[in-house]
Amino acid sequence: MTRSLGRRTPLVLALVALAALVATAVAAARANAPSAPAIRNGGTLTIGLAEEPDALDPTLARTFVGRMVFLATCEKLYDLDSHLNIVPQLAASLPTVSKDKLTYTIKLRSGIKFNDGTPFNAAAVKESLERDLTLKGSVRASEISPIKSVSTQGSNTVVLHLSSPYSPLTAQLADRSGMVMSPKALAAEGTNFAQHPVCVGPFMFKDRVAGDHITLVKSPYYYAKNKVHFASIVYKIMTDPSARTQALKAGDIQVEDRIQATDVPSIQKDKNFQTIKSVTIGYQGLTLNIGNKSGVGKPYSNVGTPIAKSRDVRAAFEDALDRTTINKVVFGGLNQPGCFPIAPSSAWFSAVTKGLPCNLHANDAAAKQLIKASGIPTPITVHLLLGGTDPVNARLGQVIQAMEKQVGINVSIEATDFTTSLNRGTSGQFDTYAVGWSGRVDPDGNIYSFVATPGTLNYSGYSNPRLDYILNGARKSLTTKSRDTLYHAALQVISTDKPLIYLYYPVDYFGVSKKVTGVQAYGDGLIRAQFAGYVK
Amino acid sequence: MGGFLLRKAGAALVVVFCASVLVFVGVRALPGDPAIALSGESNDPAVLAAVRHEYGLDRPLPVQYAKWVWRALQGNLGLDDRRLPVAHTIVSRIPISLELALLSVLVGMVIGIPAGVIAAVRRGKPSDHAATTFALVGLSLPHFWLGLLMIIVFAVDLHWLPSGGYVSFGAHPISNLEHMAMPAIVLGTGLSAVLMRQMRSSMLTSLGADYVRTARAKGLSEWSVVCKHAFRNSLITVTTVVGLQLGALISGVVITEVIFVIPGFGHLTIDAITARDYTTIQGVVLVTATGYVLVNLLVDVVYSLLNPRIRVSGGSA
Amino acid sequence: MSYVDVAPALSPRARRRRILRRRFLRRPLAVVGLVVALVFVLGAILAPVVAPYSASATDFSSVLGPPSSNHLLGTDELGRDVFSRIVWGSRASIEAGVLSVLLAMVVAVPIGLAAGYFRGWIDTVIARLTDVLLAFPFLILAVGLAAILGPSLSNATLALGIGAVPALIRIARGEALALREEDYVRAAVANGAGELRIIARHVLPNMLSTLIVQGTVLIPTAIIGEAVLSYLGLGVQPPTPSWGVMLSDAQSYLTQAPRLAVYPGLAIFLCSLSFNLLGDGLRDILDPRTTR
Repeated sequence: MTRSLGRRTPLVLALVALAALVATAVAAARANAPSAPAIRNGGTLTIGLAEEPDALDPTLARTFVGRMVFLATCEKLYDLDSHLNIVPQLAASLPTVSKDKLTYTIKLRSGIKFNDGTPFNAAAVKESLERDLTLKGSVRASEISPIKSVSTQGSNTVVLHLSSPYSPLTAQLADRSGMVMSPKALAAEGTNFAQHPVCVGPFMFKDRVAGDHITLVKSPYYYAKNKVHFASIVYKIMTDPSARTQALKAGDIQVEDRIQATDVPSIQKDKNFQTIKSVTIGYQGLTLNIGNKSGVGKPYSNVGTPIAKSRDVRAAFEDALDRTTINKVVFGGLNQPGCFPIAPSSAWFSAVTKGLPCNLHANDAAAKQLIKASGIPTPITVHLLLGGTDPVNARLGQVIQAMEKQVGINVSIEATDFTTSLNRGTSGQFDTYAVGWSGRVDPDGNIYSFVATPGTLNYSGYSNPRLDYILNGARKSLTTKSRDTLYHAALQVISTDKPLIYLYYPVDYFGVSKKVTGVQAYGDGLIRAQFAGYVK
Repeated sequence: MGGFLLRKAGAALVVVFCASVLVFVGVRALPGDPAIALSGESNDPAVLAAVRHEYGLDRPLPVQYAKWVWRALQGNLGLDDRRLPVAHTIVSRIPISLELALLSVLVGMVIGIPAGVIAAVRRGKPSDHAATTFALVGLSLPHFWLGLLMIIVFAVDLHWLPSGGYVSFGAHPISNLEHMAMPAIVLGTGLSAVLMRQMRSSMLTSLGADYVRTARAKGLSEWSVVCKHAFRNSLITVTTVVGLQLGALISGVVITEVIFVIPGFGHLTIDAITARDYTTIQGVVLVTATGYVLVNLLVDVVYSLLNPRIRVSGGSA
Repeated sequence: MSYVDVAPALSPRARRRRILRRRFLRRPLAVVGLVVALVFVLGAILAPVVAPYSASATDFSSVLGPPSSNHLLGTDELGRDVFSRIVWGSRASIEAGVLSVLLAMVVAVPIGLAAGYFRGWIDTVIARLTDVLLAFPFLILAVGLAAILGPSLSNATLALGIGAVPALIRIARGEALALREEDYVRAAVANGAGELRIIARHVLPNMLSTLIVQGTVLIPTAIIGEAVLSYLGLGVQPPTPSWGVMLSDAQSYLTQAPRLAVYPGLAIFLCSLSFNLLGDGLRDILDPRTTR
């Protein structure tokens, strides 16, 4: 009996056609997709750093560049992704926060070892956090001060008990406060942990010569060993920017940290190198001394200078500055001029700065009028403290000086080394101080310490109870919407009173040899090379 | 010889002791509270108190000094502000500066000694004037300008040599010499000028001496006379000049290392001073002063070996 | 000397001065040195007249400009006239160079003289202290002092002066040691003249020539020292120009405008060369062995 194909044939044909279509599509997609360059295993990556890291001890570390070395050797409870969102690293998930916002429960990943083979567990996390809170000289204590106590539930869960709500906490645990140190190493080295640091990380510490280099080697204990390609990473300290660029061009280093503005065009044109541009979440500006008479932390009272006494003079000072020209002449146009403590690359920027005025050009006429209105006779003398005796700082100071002269303000420049300038900032021995901040993911990190009355970096000596109320509220509230409103209000107050004049957001340029692939830099400005490798 | 040496060594010891006191006091005189510098930007009183206790800043000065000297004698120069041992840093960076200094002296000798001999032999003639003028030019040429010019020509324009940095001899001998070429030439030029003048003057003295005229009269060829004296004089000249110019040589090494970004001992000194790293400054300056005194002692010994007259007359003041 | 000499009778001092002047004029290099050194000193003093622009007149629209009719040596990274800044910069160099040496002399000569003349325990103490100070290389001493005192031109001058004191003490001491053995000094002592008188009338004036030569030769070292301190950021503060600061600023622009490194260095070089030539010439004519 003959079977009729009629009823089934269309269906079969359709299926075959569909299969063919799918197969073609897949083949086409495969052909068009950029194939990631094949990475070979092995080799040493040499990175030329712009500054030298201080102690490689998470409890005591203060330098920005130290965080780059930590990226490869010391993982944290949380990390940032390329959009600066907080993601779990050693933790298994984001913390569960109790209703009263006073208890944070963090589940940890399991099966992880420290770089000395000992197991990573809740007890180790508890020990690290307690060390951060209690070690004499700890720089982390003030960053996580609301933590009252730490307890563990089994070997994989840590519970943090807070004395008051603190929304920036998770962001802090995505930085050095969240780094976990090996209890065995802590027992052996104590306060000298920095000489032989051991954490969880793709690389482990091998040796260090002060002022010259730091050597790391691939760790056999890391939980994701297959993602690690280099056999070792060497960080070479090269503080001279011209020498650093020369070293990159000569092949002595494969990655250059922060190319100086005058060298960027030539690296961008060079076919052997790739330039990574990282628009950071930090800022640079001028801190104006309003109330810092006898030091940060002591009672504030107006210091009596024209800048301190008159809000009009402060506004005039700002109006005389042409942020675009400063960027062009001092930095070759490579940074991003701006007026706020929150950078455009931050997720918070648009909501928090909506509708607030920002002048990127000078307005000398308005400045002169404001000075007249202030009633203070010209020429007004203002002292500018620079935090470095290098040519870039000198250029910045002289450009500011030339611009202020146009409106009747005589700026006298004083350049000191960075540490001395920080001491002077702390003790209030300055009129205006050119200083910045490397930036934190949470807006609290870029604002609170500097303008809140109890802020530990409030060099300006600014004390405004209304602003304090707003900022404390922003710390306690946990929803983005309410925090947006509160920080918007805070920026309004800061823009009016001007304890700080924000000038630009540093844009960092990193040079990477095309022989290497997989090096990245997010908005936090740190070089991420731990999973990169040489091209085959 | 023994008594002479003993006296010299004793004097050297006294100098080192006084220098250590001077270093200690001088570093304490640097402005700013060292505790704030040592703890970074911290103004937390608990942190500052902890730092003060750890570095012994809360004890009386003589006690601090005694502790420091006692530890230094054992090779412990303390921890710098990165918590790394200062002694280890110094020991790893001194060989680099030594290499630079030695290469510079070599360059200076290669240029200066023959120039001095020629100038002396052809005294008053154009080649003498030319050599003397070159010496004067070499003396007046600022190290760092010559360095910058050489960087512009040989590194930026011609790409023959690297503009700075350092590669260790063990790792890459040729690259090491490429990196050291310009710095050694820069430093050696100034040294060659002094060597040339000194060599010329000592050659003139000995070529005019009686016993030389006698040798000439005996019929020895001019060249052999010159060569014999040149050899002997050059040793004395180099020793004298190194002794006199030691301070200038060390200063020159410092500035040359800064321009060419060489991670040597001189660069360490400048970095430590500008960063107010007190512990490192103390260690570095102490080592410099001790080294200077030791080298001077060595120069005195070598000089007295070469020139017996000094020994006999009891030595200079 | 014939009694029938019709030349006017000159005092021995004036005669010596004439001999020295003649000797000096017979040395073209020394004359050139004197002239060039004077040019620099006058240029420094008359800077407001000689320099076409002020040292801090910025022009952000014409940065790193090449030499032109408006700007003899071009403009720097902030649009300032390079030639004017070199002229104004000579003030810092000459001031630091000359003042620091004068300061060092004023301090070192009395001390060295006392050590060499009186000998005894004064000599031992001073000699040891000088040895200790000499154990610190000049640059490190100057850098350390400038770091303690804070960066400024006057502090740099002070640091350079103090740095030169130990070497000058040694020289003054050596001179005094030799001079006290001279016959006329011994005669004065035997005659019962007071010590101060002897020093003032016999020792000091005879040290003068050596001191002048040493001082002149020290000036280039001080000028270069000021440039080094400014290069390291420990000297003049912006916007005051100084040849050393100009060199350090130029280092960031070596690829774009190498001429910015050439001019200030050339100024330092010519200035020190001129003082060196002058000092050399002076040493030559004052040398008792010289006959021409």
